[in-house]
Amino acid sequence: MLLLQNARIASENSPVLVESDVLIVEGKIQDIGKSLTIPEGARVIDARGRVLMPAMFDAHVHFRAPGFENKETITTGSEAAINGGITGVVMMPNTRPALDSATSVATVLDNAKRKARIPVYTSGCVTKDRQGKELAEIEGMRTLGVKMLTDDGDTTSDPAVLLRAMQYATEFGMFFASHCEVPELAGPRALNEGVMSYRLGIKGSPACAEEIIIDRDIRLARAAGAHVHIQHVSSKLGMETIRWWKSRGDVKVTAEVAPHHLLFTDEHIGDYDTNYKMNPPLRTQADCDALLEGLIEGVFDLIATDHAPHTPFEKAQDFISAPNGITGLDTALVSLYHFFVEPGKFGWDLVVKRYSAEPRRLMGLPVPTIEVGQQAECVLFDTDAETTFTREFMKSKSQNTPFIDQTLKGRVDLVILGTEILLER
Amino acid sequence: MARKDLLDIASLHREEIEFLLDQSTSFKKLFTRSVKKIPALEGKSVLMLFYEASTRTHSSFEVAAKRLSAEVTNFDVDHSSITKGESVRETIETLQAMRTDYIVVRHGHSGLPGMIARQTTASVINAGDGAHEHPTQALLDAFTIKEKFPDPRGKKVLIIGDILHSRVARSTSTLLQKLGVEVAYLGPGSLVPKYGPTTIPRFTDYQAAMAWKPDIVYLLRVQMERQDVQFFPNVREYHRVYGITNARLAEIRDRGLYIMHPGPVNRGVELCDAVMDYERSLITNQVENGISIRMAVLDWLTPGGEFPKQESYIARQQASSTAILP
Ligand SMILES: [Zn+2]
Repeated sequence: MLLLQNARIASENSPVLVESDVLIVEGKIQDIGKSLTIPEGARVIDARGRVLMPAMFDAHVHFRAPGFENKETITTGSEAAINGGITGVVMMPNTRPALDSATSVATVLDNAKRKARIPVYTSGCVTKDRQGKELAEIEGMRTLGVKMLTDDGDTTSDPAVLLRAMQYATEFGMFFASHCEVPELAGPRALNEGVMSYRLGIKGSPACAEEIIIDRDIRLARAAGAHVHIQHVSSKLGMETIRWWKSRGDVKVTAEVAPHHLLFTDEHIGDYDTNYKMNPPLRTQADCDALLEGLIEGVFDLIATDHAPHTPFEKAQDFISAPNGITGLDTALVSLYHFFVEPGKFGWDLVVKRYSAEPRRLMGLPVPTIEVGQQAECVLFDTDAETTFTREFMKSKSQNTPFIDQTLKGRVDLVILGTEILLER
Repeated sequence: MARKDLLDIASLHREEIEFLLDQSTSFKKLFTRSVKKIPALEGKSVLMLFYEASTRTHSSFEVAAKRLSAEVTNFDVDHSSITKGESVRETIETLQAMRTDYIVVRHGHSGLPGMIARQTTASVINAGDGAHEHPTQALLDAFTIKEKFPDPRGKKVLIIGDILHSRVARSTSTLLQKLGVEVAYLGPGSLVPKYGPTTIPRFTDYQAAMAWKPDIVYLLRVQMERQDVQFFPNVREYHRVYGITNARLAEIRDRGLYIMHPGPVNRGVELCDAVMDYERSLITNQVENGISIRMAVLDWLTPGGEFPKQESYIARQQASSTAILP
């Protein structure tokens, strides 16, 4: 039994936080109200001033297992999620072997059950080994609960292959997630083509490399009657393309944006800092502004981190040699609070809707709320405290993030999942 | 004014540039003496780390270092296999152990000399990194121009060719602008980026560029090897559209324009054979001035003293990554 007193409760339906006591009994919310009587044996937490919200869900993470356990494992990855207030994730299938069959998916899910304290879901490949040629074992993966199909960083380049996959998999109730990039335009280095790429002398990837595929994949989904989910949009025109397609209403399209694309620009790369090397690349302030607009407006259904760990050893190379990616789970909620909620750019309702409710709806999962009768799946967040992202603080095995050793406002104090307190500070 | 490294032109102050150009003048005077060596860098070691083959720049630095009485070592780089950043890091550890005072580095990856500079106490000189910068080339270009135009302010330099991939274009135009020289670019639309510096006019038409009335025509080397896709159909067409043809040379001679080129020249591509005998070609002056400029740079930089006692870089990285295992 746990009694949270005077918590400020957030929900996706209202920007106003409601102050209340919340009583949790056997993993369920039993009572909500002012000055609840303290049941005998209950643990009481004074939550005054702190925000209580449904726990987040991240629909785009790389846990690197199997194959790259030196970067991350299912254990360290899911602990990083908990550390950031996240109680469920969807893994991308770019592991080794790639998750393109029932066998490989079964191994991951079995591992996740034993090694993670939160539910870990996985997406499956569209094509075998993400090669873009032969279809992966789509129905076999579905029997294990896979819903999302994606070739991840390797955009399925042959539109005929993707169209066929869409026609086939839609019959099984599956949907597609697209990392949008024309490889011939993007080149191997993740840097926006523009003033900065010219100054740094590195071949840039133009925003149109992304925009072309956003448009292509939505058109393919429309033709196939499929649902396509556009991943980590980085450009203004990419956002506007999705907005236009959504306004037509004749194709099922959802989209996500990552915190780093809202926060950083190619200018941050400055002195070849590999912590800012990611794909799609950081673009310009005008793109950041458009993405924020798209998020507030609902062009982006959800926020996802694209948590992409790489070892310090790999990231300590020069910009061109270093791999793409940034970790995001440990820092996601605090950075969203610090840069957006606290300065009043958007409210807690947006965080709950876009980072807790919508990603679960995308995956067809029940959506936790702070209401009587619901399972307790929530986060207590201290808006007055600060978090310093030291290496010790981070639970991810890798710390390739610009937030390393930075102090931001806000702190995840408590993470509850059912009968378990996953984290307490 | 002490600096440890010379990595780019962008961060150089005008006074530093003027100082280096002045020093170069003094060093150049030495060349006429019978004894060309001075003991400025006696007992110091200069390490040449060339990941890209370059006879010209390499030997220019070597001669410069030797004339300052430094000891020169060539670090053997296997051009075929060692190009990745990871092996460079291992090399950096070796360099620490060798306790060299200066490292002259050329690499195909932009930003790599800066990475070496941050991880060693040796003075690092960028001898060309990818399409980023080539600061000593820019200094020798400026020096060569100042020999003809002692006050180069207001003079106009037209840089012709592959601007997109050229570190020479970046460094030289940045430096010239700092000296008050006007710069414009001319080249194929695919190789003159629209998003370059806004202070530099861009031409894709030769006649229009000539109408801008340049004092110097600076031709860049056409580097087919840097082009991962085709940027223009063939070198014959390039020569016809952007090269100094015989007819254009006649016009250039008429107008009394100077011609520069960082070398090595692709004859019949950037320029016709006759340019080599043109009295206002400064191409050999550039080569000669490379030595005194590089002497000035080596003499000017201050290596960071003793190497700090610390565990190896890689060991440190690995320690920090294992420390956070669950
Ligand atoms: Zn990803």
